[in-house]
Amino acid sequence: MDWVLFALIAIPAATVPVFMLIPSRYPQLVRNVAAGSGFAMFVLSVLVFVRYEFTGGSGLRFDLQLDWLENVAFLKENGITYHLAVDGISAPLVLLTGIVIFAGVFISWNIEHRNKDYFVLLFLLVSGVFGVFLSLDLFFLFFFYELAVLPMYLLIAVWGASSNFGTFTRTKEYGAMKLVLYLVGGSVLIFIGIFATFVEAGQGTFDLPVLGSVTYDETFQKTFFPFFALGFGVLAGLWPFHTWSPDGHVAAPTAVSMLHAGVLMKLGAFGILRVAITLFPEGAEFWAPVLMTLGVTGALYGAVSALAQRDLKYMVGYSSVSHMGFVLMGLATLTTIGVNGAVLQMFAHGVMTALMFAMVGAIYDQAHVRDMTVFGGLAQKTPRLAGFFAIAGLSSLGLPGLAGFVAEFHIFVGTFNTYPWAGALGILAAAITATYILRMLAMAFFGPFNERWAQLKEMRLGEQFGGALLIFFIAFMGIWPAPFIDRIADSVRAIPGLS
Amino acid sequence: MVGMEEAWLIPAIPAAAFAVLLLVGKYLPRRGDWLAIGAVAASFVLFFPVLIDLLDEVDQPGFAGVSSGIDWVKFSLPTGPDFQLRLGFHVDQLAIVMLVVVSFVALMVQVYSTGYMKGDPRYGWYFAAMSLFVASMLTLVLADNFLLLYAAWEGVGFCSYLLIGFWHERRSAAEAAKKAFVTTRIGDVGLLIGIILLWREAGTFDISEIFEFAENGGYSAEYLTTAVLFLFAGAVGKSAQFPLHVWLPDAMEGPTPVSALIHAATMVVAGVYLVARMLPLFELADPVALNVVTALGLTTVMISATMGLVATDIKQVIAYSTINSLGLMMVALGSGSVTAAMLYLFAHGFFKALLFLSAGSVIHATERQEVSQLGGLAKRMPVTAAVFALGALSMAGIVPLSGFWAKDEILNVAGDHQNFVVYGFMMLSVFITALYMVRVVILTFLGEPRDRGAQEHAHDAEPAMTVPLLLLAALTVVAGFVTFDGVGEALGFPGGFGEFVFSEEPEAFHFPLDVAVLSTVAALAGLATAFYFWSGEAEPARRAAETFRPAYETLKRKYFVDEVYQWAIDRVVLVTGGVVAWFDRNVVNDTGVDGTAGLGVFTGFGMKFLETGKLPNYALAIVTGVIVLAIVFMVVRV
Repeated sequence: MDWVLFALIAIPAATVPVFMLIPSRYPQLVRNVAAGSGFAMFVLSVLVFVRYEFTGGSGLRFDLQLDWLENVAFLKENGITYHLAVDGISAPLVLLTGIVIFAGVFISWNIEHRNKDYFVLLFLLVSGVFGVFLSLDLFFLFFFYELAVLPMYLLIAVWGASSNFGTFTRTKEYGAMKLVLYLVGGSVLIFIGIFATFVEAGQGTFDLPVLGSVTYDETFQKTFFPFFALGFGVLAGLWPFHTWSPDGHVAAPTAVSMLHAGVLMKLGAFGILRVAITLFPEGAEFWAPVLMTLGVTGALYGAVSALAQRDLKYMVGYSSVSHMGFVLMGLATLTTIGVNGAVLQMFAHGVMTALMFAMVGAIYDQAHVRDMTVFGGLAQKTPRLAGFFAIAGLSSLGLPGLAGFVAEFHIFVGTFNTYPWAGALGILAAAITATYILRMLAMAFFGPFNERWAQLKEMRLGEQFGGALLIFFIAFMGIWPAPFIDRIADSVRAIPGLS
Repeated sequence: MVGMEEAWLIPAIPAAAFAVLLLVGKYLPRRGDWLAIGAVAASFVLFFPVLIDLLDEVDQPGFAGVSSGIDWVKFSLPTGPDFQLRLGFHVDQLAIVMLVVVSFVALMVQVYSTGYMKGDPRYGWYFAAMSLFVASMLTLVLADNFLLLYAAWEGVGFCSYLLIGFWHERRSAAEAAKKAFVTTRIGDVGLLIGIILLWREAGTFDISEIFEFAENGGYSAEYLTTAVLFLFAGAVGKSAQFPLHVWLPDAMEGPTPVSALIHAATMVVAGVYLVARMLPLFELADPVALNVVTALGLTTVMISATMGLVATDIKQVIAYSTINSLGLMMVALGSGSVTAAMLYLFAHGFFKALLFLSAGSVIHATERQEVSQLGGLAKRMPVTAAVFALGALSMAGIVPLSGFWAKDEILNVAGDHQNFVVYGFMMLSVFITALYMVRVVILTFLGEPRDRGAQEHAHDAEPAMTVPLLLLAALTVVAGFVTFDGVGEALGFPGGFGEFVFSEEPEAFHFPLDVAVLSTVAALAGLATAFYFWSGEAEPARRAAETFRPAYETLKRKYFVDEVYQWAIDRVVLVTGGVVAWFDRNVVNDTGVDGTAGLGVFTGFGMKFLETGKLPNYALAIVTGVIVLAIVFMVVRV
């Protein structure tokens, strides 16, 4: 089964040249190939998740290490290797990526403008995302990280939308530029951190398990923890470095928003956990109060900002900032319960926010506006769309039986153990979430039907399929979270320094 | 044989019915209403073997109920016990009382709904949502740990949201649903904090283990007081206690059977049930905790009873009477009596459902619900009028209806455990309750019809709606007698209601004549006053409203509570949101982010002037640099 991880990264990458070979006069063929490839990724990611074995402690599963460069210059044995493996933390995130890209292909079905180029970039991005979750070599982890970020620029700038909000405008070029500059700025910090760690460890290798076996000097840990935490934190929407996210979503096309909020932001949180906390437990302990403060600020600040939004995408964008704040809170607890909750929240937020963006896209494609106040009573015209949107919203406000509750419950319990004040504020943020979600539902979907939208139709079949797929996992995790938690807890307990 | 171990089946059957109805409901004959009714009937039937099993074991010394369940989440921690969340169910006497109320009233309401909701375009969805509600409510009753309790608690709140907003085309219904959910959610913030605080010290969510931990002095008194007061916040929201009572009158936007089941007999008493279950913790905490319960309960009683006096919508009046009842139960708990609260809860479930369902028959027949458009319906709808009056008199506490026994028990414990101010207000509330309950009977059923159009086709409803009314009416008459030891023993219980609910320290039913006489006098006085005020042209009532205009206005405008909240939402919450969003765009982004970016652009712009391409400029720079460096070195060296 070693091939499965290799294949997960290789399939989207290999689909790219296939797309290129298809003449652009066959857009339907492009879509079919994308669907086939998406399905293959989905199946493989499910396979990785299901076939995860609980034997032999918290080791790595499907370990695969291919030599790339060694014993040259400053590199010693296994200097840089193509080292792939999955553990209990990355397994749910791999599954998440498989789900979101498969759903995303169907959401992108109607893209007419240069759809070949669109899918080329989208699949490159996905290849990068799988790479980050699976790489155990810092060199390749960084490479895939950049591969996941850079296609964003073109995807937003070419296929995105500019918006005029009356008092201010946001062009798609602005959104794309800000997003990429921000994330590249974060990468610079990560890059510095990687080299500092490499030199300090003195092992001549970028292999994470080897680097993890070294005990670093306490001052070194305290100095370089922030490089990774901040560098990855930017991508995780760490307050106050979050503004690329709402503006980026508003500009981005639907499926890109789904992947971006659903999966990409998780790369940041995953990086903090996989690199910063795992390598530098003492640094983590030193900086945890700061991370907690920023996390809880983001959670509250995002929720309160979402309350004031009229644009659906801005609302969902700020709600992502808020929910990623919960993830950072969970990580900052440095407790088993809290970190389990953070990983659960990464998955839960991934599926529910992807669903929300998909539904916003379904409305926007037809109505060409996203201002929730101009709608009204849409539930009568498009009951399924309203129902799907409501399910995503209910999960995000933490309704038991849906994914968000399980995750938030763990995070709150973990936070209360270490920072009771932050836990109380977090629960308050969850209550504010209920307010903005229900306010949006009442404005846009309930009440008397606004005849202006008489032409509105129910979602396309592809959108319904994508939405149903996401809902299945939202409900599955909400009703029976054990398969997720068993895997996550299996690996979280191996992280040093957690209480 | 189904026993207490299999009690999980009781909520599981309606839950399964919900799943089936949600997925394939529209392909079923009659949209699957029979499935929903069959499921709740099965739950009701299963109650009996569970009860018999309990009665077998209840005599054993130290019996504290039977738990069963499976792990939902479990992982080990580096230190201390495993982190464990269970789907665990627990049957004891308290749960049994709630089970029978919930499953029986739900069955009656579902049958009634087949008539009331006939022809609604979302008929199938209605039964699906009701099934989900029943499943959640039964889970709440049976939960043996706080996680499942909280999950079910949110679940019933969500079903309430769905069903209040059932006719969501109406703006008012959509708004009422939102208001109900958000208001109760505010209380739930407290509930969740309380639960986690209890867990933090005890390391478990299991309710009986937490009791044990508390009894062994695991919590300090201050800590426990804080925790139980947070828990109580949840009960305040769900049971519509002051100051979070505002959602319940608005919740009447939902279909009337929904009001009967959710907003009278079951969900709203969940708060009372929670406090009743947690009473051992309240008693271990500082007395301040129970005093808070009493104070809020009494405030709730007084404001709801007075608002009921001026409400003009038949459902609103009953809604206020429900808040009134919930306040009474809280006062009973504040006085430390689970028995009194649960007896009232038991009796209340039947007579309040009866009131709502018979009001529903009126609305169904006349399509009016303002009392100013009703009147004189007793001739057209004699059965409905009779059962409604029966419910109203029970609420008013007229002997020998069930409400009388239950209310007397509460007055009793209030008299024993509270000071005379509380007791005095309670007696006053008996008078006011009789006043407004009889008022609504008079205005709806007696006198002359005020809107003839509404009356033309009015008649008693079909059997599907009338039979549940009659069954509930019968229970309204007899349910109170379970307080007597003789009745309890005849039914196979160890004794009367108090003996059964509290097997360890039986609270025998006591019946001091002075309380009974006093309360009966108060109730009859209320009844007589109501007839004086509102019979005929209701001239005295009009004059009273004129004379006490400011008081009347205050009641009409619900003590301005809604207005204060609306002001706070518009002027504080939304404004804060706007300010934060503005800050984010203008300060964080346009100044912080774009400013930083602008600084780079500006610096680059400035630097480009240095690059002139003229040799003399560069030579000058080099010479200047050498001179400056030379000076620096001289200064530093010497």
